[in-house]
Amino acid sequence: MIREFAYVKVSTLKEATDALQSGNAKPLAGGTDLLVDMRNGVSRPDLLVDIKGIEELKTFSMNKGNGIEIGANVTLNTIIEDKKLRELCPVITDSAMSIATYQLRNRATLVGNICNASPAADMAPALYILNALVVAAGVNGERTIPIGEFITGVKKTTLEKGEMVVRVKIPRIPAGKTCFLKKQRIRGHDLATVNMAGLADRESNTLKVCIGACGITPILLEGLDDLYRNIRDRENLAEEVAMIALGAVSPIDDVRASAEYRRGIVYAYTKRLIREITSPN
Amino acid sequence: METKKEYKYIGKSITRKDSIEKVTGAAVFTHDLAVQGMLYGKTVKSPHAYARIKNVDISEAERVPGVRAIVTGKELPYKVGLYMIDKDILARDFVRYQGEPVAAVAADTELSADIACDKIKVDYEVLKPVLDPREAVKPDAPLVHPDLENYDYMKGVFLPLPKTNIPHLQKVRKGNIEEGFKEANVIVENTFYNPPVQHVCMETHVSIAQALPGNKVLIWSSAQSPYTLRNLFSVCFSIPHENIRVRVPYVGGGFGGKAGIHLEPLAYVLSKKAGGRPVKLCMTREEEFNTMPSRQGLYSEFKTGVAKNGKITALEVNYYWDAGAYADYGVNIGRAAAFAGAGPYEVPNCKIDSYIVYTNKVFGTAYRGFGHLEVLWGIERNMDIVARKIEMDPVEFRRKNVLMPGSITITGEKIEEHTGRVDKCLEAVVKEIGWKGYKSEEERKKELSTGKVRGKGIALLHKAPAMPTFTSSSAIIKFNENGSVDILTSITDYGQGTYTALAQAAAEILSIPIEKVNIPWDSDTSFTTYDWQTVASRGTFMGCNAVIAAAKDCLKQIKDIASQVLRCPPEELVCENEKIYVSHRPDNFLKYTDVVNGYTYPNGNSIGGPVIGRGKYIAQGLTNPDLHTGQGLPALDWTYGAHAVELEVDTETGEIEILKIASAFDVGNILNEGQIHSQIIGGVVQGLGSALIEEFKFDEKGKFLNPTFVDYKILTAKDIPKETSRHLVLTPQIDGPFGSRGVAEHPMISVPGAVGNALYDALGIDFFRFPLTSEWVYCGIKSGKKEYYD
Amino acid sequence: MHEYKKSFSITVRVNGNEYKDRVPSHMTLLQFLKERLHFLGTKEGCSIGECGACTVIMDGKAVTSCLVLAVEADGSSIRTIEGEAKNGELTPLQKAFIEHGAVQCGFCTPGMIMSAQNLLDRNPHPSREDIVEAISGNLCRCTGYEQIIQAVQSVANGATKQNNLVGVKSVGGGGDTEGGQPGGKVSEHNSKSKTGGTL
Repeated sequence: MIREFAYVKVSTLKEATDALQSGNAKPLAGGTDLLVDMRNGVSRPDLLVDIKGIEELKTFSMNKGNGIEIGANVTLNTIIEDKKLRELCPVITDSAMSIATYQLRNRATLVGNICNASPAADMAPALYILNALVVAAGVNGERTIPIGEFITGVKKTTLEKGEMVVRVKIPRIPAGKTCFLKKQRIRGHDLATVNMAGLADRESNTLKVCIGACGITPILLEGLDDLYRNIRDRENLAEEVAMIALGAVSPIDDVRASAEYRRGIVYAYTKRLIREITSPN
Repeated sequence: METKKEYKYIGKSITRKDSIEKVTGAAVFTHDLAVQGMLYGKTVKSPHAYARIKNVDISEAERVPGVRAIVTGKELPYKVGLYMIDKDILARDFVRYQGEPVAAVAADTELSADIACDKIKVDYEVLKPVLDPREAVKPDAPLVHPDLENYDYMKGVFLPLPKTNIPHLQKVRKGNIEEGFKEANVIVENTFYNPPVQHVCMETHVSIAQALPGNKVLIWSSAQSPYTLRNLFSVCFSIPHENIRVRVPYVGGGFGGKAGIHLEPLAYVLSKKAGGRPVKLCMTREEEFNTMPSRQGLYSEFKTGVAKNGKITALEVNYYWDAGAYADYGVNIGRAAAFAGAGPYEVPNCKIDSYIVYTNKVFGTAYRGFGHLEVLWGIERNMDIVARKIEMDPVEFRRKNVLMPGSITITGEKIEEHTGRVDKCLEAVVKEIGWKGYKSEEERKKELSTGKVRGKGIALLHKAPAMPTFTSSSAIIKFNENGSVDILTSITDYGQGTYTALAQAAAEILSIPIEKVNIPWDSDTSFTTYDWQTVASRGTFMGCNAVIAAAKDCLKQIKDIASQVLRCPPEELVCENEKIYVSHRPDNFLKYTDVVNGYTYPNGNSIGGPVIGRGKYIAQGLTNPDLHTGQGLPALDWTYGAHAVELEVDTETGEIEILKIASAFDVGNILNEGQIHSQIIGGVVQGLGSALIEEFKFDEKGKFLNPTFVDYKILTAKDIPKETSRHLVLTPQIDGPFGSRGVAEHPMISVPGAVGNALYDALGIDFFRFPLTSEWVYCGIKSGKKEYYD
Repeated sequence: MHEYKKSFSITVRVNGNEYKDRVPSHMTLLQFLKERLHFLGTKEGCSIGECGACTVIMDGKAVTSCLVLAVEADGSSIRTIEGEAKNGELTPLQKAFIEHGAVQCGFCTPGMIMSAQNLLDRNPHPSREDIVEAISGNLCRCTGYEQIIQAVQSVANGATKQNNLVGVKSVGGGGDTEGGQPGGKVSEHNSKSKTGGTL
């Protein structure tokens, strides 16, 4: 059961970062991970700082020049329902749609998903391939952390005591095809057995693939750009990237799947992903 | 004399009697109840699968504000159980499964109780658990119940084997098994497995109990069987039946999991210790998985002898049931399923040994199908494999062996014309799915290259209610002033629709509008009449027969009164459309309202009095099968059925998509067309859950790894088959109400077998265990083997 | 250090009526609705947001009330199952649930109806896929979902009183064996439902 804790609802970032200085305090946005952890006794904060009243955290903007900004109070359904985003950067929309249930997505936020720092976080692969930046605020002001440095391990981030994430920035809207794939045990809501996102960027002529649930953090594949630039045969490329993926991942056996199965899915899905993002139409 | 007429209500799609309450949120379940002065109970659960309890220290917990009572196993010298009285209220001396309650707290709030539970310190000496039933039957296996020979149990029906882990071994013997194998041209051996799973009622187990002065007890419970609950409670505490009142409000699903007795004794001892304040004990979802009973796992070993002409000559089966830590109710599953353990086939020579085996896992209990889904997985997979060994089409092989009128079952029962027709069910699904035989290896190879392969599979099923021979139902119908009636029964309707069927039967026989039939949803042992249990697809069958009898009793009383007024012998009166008249003079009638509370003559003289009909039904002619041969008559009725599945497999991921499932059942007659279809679709989807995804996972120490909805998945709206079809064969059951049979459990039985057989057709690989998760199928494909075990 | 509170006075509108109460911070909206306000229709099935039985509409959005703190609901407007029927008149969706046999044990029903009604409020003409997406966070163990989907679809199509599960093809009726004559008439009934199509 959820045990006793103190609660404060703040309306400014300053109030929030001040409150977060005390004891074992945690910011509360959607609460769909935090309240479950508290109920299960995994997390027992003594203070919840409700940040939903902070207007500036509702930032949700996008344009071709400045990229995309998604504040800590933006729910997944807000993201999913945004038609412009779906047009500009569907991999974000698709990743968000794969998470949990409609009801939970009315509360859950993109920022919360990455702060929870599950290796299987469904928003993470897309943010990795888009070079997303995580903006954290503390009493000493803001700092910006590349997503790949933000998540440091299972349920671990680089956030320091008293810091909270205020928004995520995607500096540049990708020019090219993206794709998000997620293997789950049933078609209904489930955590990812394996998830991945890919981008074949025509402008920079780069290929990015990030795979989740196969290591302590999401894994961004390296060395794909040269392969992509020298592409002759899409099927060959798919095979080569799949082999690189298998070399990069280090999945474990757990209650959701065996390492062997995860590797099998990594192989099959990487190929599907590459075929999809490199298809001419 | 009754003349045959079109039914007004029977067979029609009458909407549920409880619909309005349920769609408006007015239906109150035990979960929703709070009683004045109520305390909240919580339990401390064992982290170990098998351990000796060295000490339980409650001193710190007692100091938690709001705590009113703490109990531990030591102070509870009781055993409880339905067939095998082997279960402790709280673990005493030993914990036998991870999740078993060791101590319990009642406090003013749930939070206080929860905090106090955290402060109870239990010292354990951890013992090596026995987790595999095939290991547990070995002579040197550790004993889960060293005192087995001292336990009480239902005599003449079960036979515990002292100093073993076997609370019962059911044998079935027919013909001469050695001779049968000699007659065979081919002998095939196969071993199958399925893991424990759970009912997953949306309402978890919950009970409120209050110890009252004068050795009396008041219980509210989310339970299937108020009377059996009361009886077991009475036996457990030696409290007379009349002192125990069990009330059952709306129940949020049962599927067998709420039959028998569960949390009520613990809630009661907490209440008693708290000075008689009512105590509510409500399982969290994790406790529902980890502490409350499950469906048993099963290993089955088949040895089949078959002649070239496709006739089965001999069948030898060993069933090893993973009963878990207690055999309370579950001991009857391996017994009942053994009687059906050759499938709906005529087997001249049969030997079945069905071992019910204790292990250190959460214990098993009844679950929709009562062992039949489990045995028929092996039976129906086996039928396909055997057919292939003699190069016969599996449908043709089944045609040659199915039970037909004149066949003798393995327990010696003769199948009659009116027993039901499994062959018609088979033909219906064969036609619906378009079965044309397995695809050829060439076709398969061609499809495999596309990454998606399709396959079709068929499986048959049968099941009779598994219940003691003395099982009975009863009902009272009482008339109200306006000619409406209330039906009092202790059958529980936890979603299956029984009450609506009972109302239809009453309306039909009494010839009153269905709207004028009311069934109060609460069952209450102080007010509603005896019923053994709502289980085994027997509720509508037996309950409806009792209601029919009660309705006829009402008519007799109505006619007795009317015969005096109309000056005509009662047998010449007709009751129709709420009126009574002399058969050839319909215009000279009395209204029901004129007589159901007594008839008053113009001068004030009154006769009769309130009409109250009484009805009962007891299964007739059932016998306890012989303990050593299984010969006897345990079956009230057999419901036969068949499923055919078409599926598509993604060969890269192992993912299965169910394209179509066609189902057929011989239901005898239809009581409520809409509800029968609802029941079938719901059961089929539940069966697909078993077939595709559901399983308990344990580590090597017996720790239950997936006791939450995060990792124990049930199918969602996104997971249902693309297409379903239902075909009802109607071979009326002579003693069934309006010729009908139960079909509550059957829709989920044999769904896994049909999926497994379709998977073979798709891939050319035989799988021997379910669930057929995408991972399992993937591993099978990757193995390159034609027979995939693990 | 600043002292932060552990209990709060909150004001919540439920089904149009205002309620004020003092709640501890750890109380969920679900507990508040059931234990304090006695709206018993909303159910608890898992308390971790996986089953949807506790779904209510909060400021127009479907949420699982087990994962909303009562204090978070301060100032909000909540719709529960009790607020759906007005003056004893069922909503078209409630009627469709009854007519389509979308209810069995009934424990998931309140949450299911709230999810489905919220969908219809957002999108009066949802596709089958929209319906499935909207209700797939509501687990049901009894019905197999098909009748529920059809019930929602019928409201979307403006057509109630149609149960697609029955009577596609029926040959003859049942034999009357209530009196016990052997070997009654044998006949058959068929029905199908394509889950891919529309009504």
